[in-house]
Amino acid sequence: MTVPLNAYLILAAVLFTIGLYGALSRKGAVLVLMSLELMSMAVTINLVAFSSFVTPIDMTGQFFTIFAMVVSAAEVAIGLALVVAIFRTTATIELDDLDELKG
Amino acid sequence: MNWLVLIPMLPLAVFVVFLVLPRAVRNRLLLVSVVAMLASTVLSVAALWQILQVGATGAGEVWRLSFAIGVLDGQALQLSLALTPLSAVMVAVVSTVASCVQVYSLAYMRDESRRGWYFAVLSLFTAAMLGLVLGSNLLLIFAAWEMMGLCSYLLIGFWWENEEPRQASIKAFLTTRIGDLGFMLALFACYSEIGTFDLPTVLETAPTWSSTGIVLAAVGLLWAAMGKSAQVPLHAWLPDAMAGPTPASALIHAATMVAAGILVLGRTLPLLELVPFVMIAMRAIGVITALVAALIAMVQYDIKRVLAYSTISQLGLMMVALGAGSVADSLFHLSTHAFFKSLLFLGSGVVIHAVHSQDMRDMGGLGRSMPISSVAFLIGTLALAGVPPLSGFFSKDGIIAALIREQHWLALAGVLLASVLTAFYMARLWFRVFAGPANERAHEGEPLMVGPMVLLATLSAIAGAAAVMFAELLGHNGHWPTLQLVALSVGIAGLGIAAGWFFFGRGERNVNTDKLKVQFAPGYTLLINKFYFDHLYAGVVRGFFVTADALARFDRVVIDGVVNGIATLYHGLCQLSWVFDARVVDGAVNGVAQLASVVGLRARQIQTGQTQLYQRLITAAIVVALAAYVGFDLIGKGI
Repeated sequence: MTVPLNAYLILAAVLFTIGLYGALSRKGAVLVLMSLELMSMAVTINLVAFSSFVTPIDMTGQFFTIFAMVVSAAEVAIGLALVVAIFRTTATIELDDLDELKG
Repeated sequence: MNWLVLIPMLPLAVFVVFLVLPRAVRNRLLLVSVVAMLASTVLSVAALWQILQVGATGAGEVWRLSFAIGVLDGQALQLSLALTPLSAVMVAVVSTVASCVQVYSLAYMRDESRRGWYFAVLSLFTAAMLGLVLGSNLLLIFAAWEMMGLCSYLLIGFWWENEEPRQASIKAFLTTRIGDLGFMLALFACYSEIGTFDLPTVLETAPTWSSTGIVLAAVGLLWAAMGKSAQVPLHAWLPDAMAGPTPASALIHAATMVAAGILVLGRTLPLLELVPFVMIAMRAIGVITALVAALIAMVQYDIKRVLAYSTISQLGLMMVALGAGSVADSLFHLSTHAFFKSLLFLGSGVVIHAVHSQDMRDMGGLGRSMPISSVAFLIGTLALAGVPPLSGFFSKDGIIAALIREQHWLALAGVLLASVLTAFYMARLWFRVFAGPANERAHEGEPLMVGPMVLLATLSAIAGAAAVMFAELLGHNGHWPTLQLVALSVGIAGLGIAAGWFFFGRGERNVNTDKLKVQFAPGYTLLINKFYFDHLYAGVVRGFFVTADALARFDRVVIDGVVNGIATLYHGLCQLSWVFDARVVDGAVNGVAQLASVVGLRARQIQTGQTQLYQRLITAAIVVALAAYVGFDLIGKGI
């Protein structure tokens, strides 16, 4: 029994939504980063699903996914470094407390 | 015969020369003026001789000189001088009297610092008068007329340092100016009827004019003559004109200028005769003038005023004669009047010089101290009274005869009454001045003053015989006065003189006039106030000033008020505008800024600095956009 394309797409959508929810409502900076990663993975799943169903021979999606994951890793590294820096300066990583750009 | 143009030109040249010379030089050249005048006289007598030789009569021209002085309405404006028997006689008379006056003035004005100017104006005046007599063109005549008015003003106001001559000269000029309006009216009528001012043409074509034109011209000329020749009611200036030097009065206000009006009427009589009511008016005005003036003369104490009113009275007689249609008699009386009236004025000058007063009450008994003057004056008096065989008798007789001939009985009665009064007041004058106990203070006048008087006295005496010649010169058959007329004249003159002698000539038994003044108080008041004409005129003038005041006030209050009001209104509008600008416009501008500020204040509150809020907003926006897109897409596909 082959899994239809829609199932992967729905899975990706659900994951994306959960990730979005997390990014919007979590207070901790690390948790937000994790949510962002989740969203990124959801998009990756989307990519791979389309690639394997629409152009299976070329495998463009999969290749693209590898690149995306690399970028994502780099980005997380920088993100966490930023969080550490923020913690060092302000002794908190609650997003609600970081409102110096308040205008 | 073009040398005739020298007759007016010589005195004119004297004026022009004197005008540019400084006072000191002028005062030394008086003889030049006198010589020029004498030369003019000689030429005029020569002209008269020519006329007699050629035997021209009536208005026949012996000589004509035309010249153009410009263009009017596309045609050349021609002016012309002409010599007719009438003008020849008048020119001779005028220049003779003018010469006598100039010689007399050499002595009379000897101590006057501005005598040079006096002679200059005198010459200019004579030139103008001669120009008027010789002129054959109404425009030229009018120019000369106005010029004489100017000279009269200058001479009356010669001693302008004093108040009286100043006012008198203005009064004279303005009164005659009112008359001049009539002349201008006549000129306008003339031009619009026939497009030219040429006198012979005017007289020829006059019957063909429209009746409006004829009436306008006739009435205009009559009115002008009334001003110039001092007829009632435009007579008030003449007595006041006595403020000028006596010889000037002799020339202009006795002999020549005042005669100009009569002269012009005489020359245009054919035109006037076309309007019967004008002829009636002339007789009426003449009689009224003669009587009114004679009555006033009876109560005057100033010698010159008596003579002035006498002149007005005689001018009235001349006007009556013209009204009866007789140019010859009127102009003959004009000529004889010129001689004896100027004689009387010059004589009064001598008397005033001797007694240093013009009031008759300061005089008396001068007959013995100044025999020559006394006799000359007497001749003048008798001539004026119309005693035969003096010239005045002939000319006055001519007038009376004309009135009888034309059967104007009312006018005749007026003339006879005026003649009686004339004889009376002249007798009064002579007796008061010359009769009575000798006055040691007085002395005879000097030769330069008495000489001309003697000449004029001679002329006054013998010119009457020229009556026949005069009439024939003008185309009538000359006739000696009839015996009845002689008797009538003698009777009138005799009556007047006898009354005068009775009142004033009997020394101790003279009538006491003071009592009479009280007895006839109303009549006396009327006469001494000169029939209230001056009061009337003063009232008119005051009326003008009142009107002027009212208009000035109107201008100040109403017109300025309106202008100021508009300015205030404008000021108010400006205020309004400022308020609008300050409140509304600035309010709007400030309001916008306020709005921006408020909006910014509120909008700023979105920027909480919390990233998650931003994220949520962005997410919401994307969802909405997607929903809208999908929704419109679905709608577009018809679901």
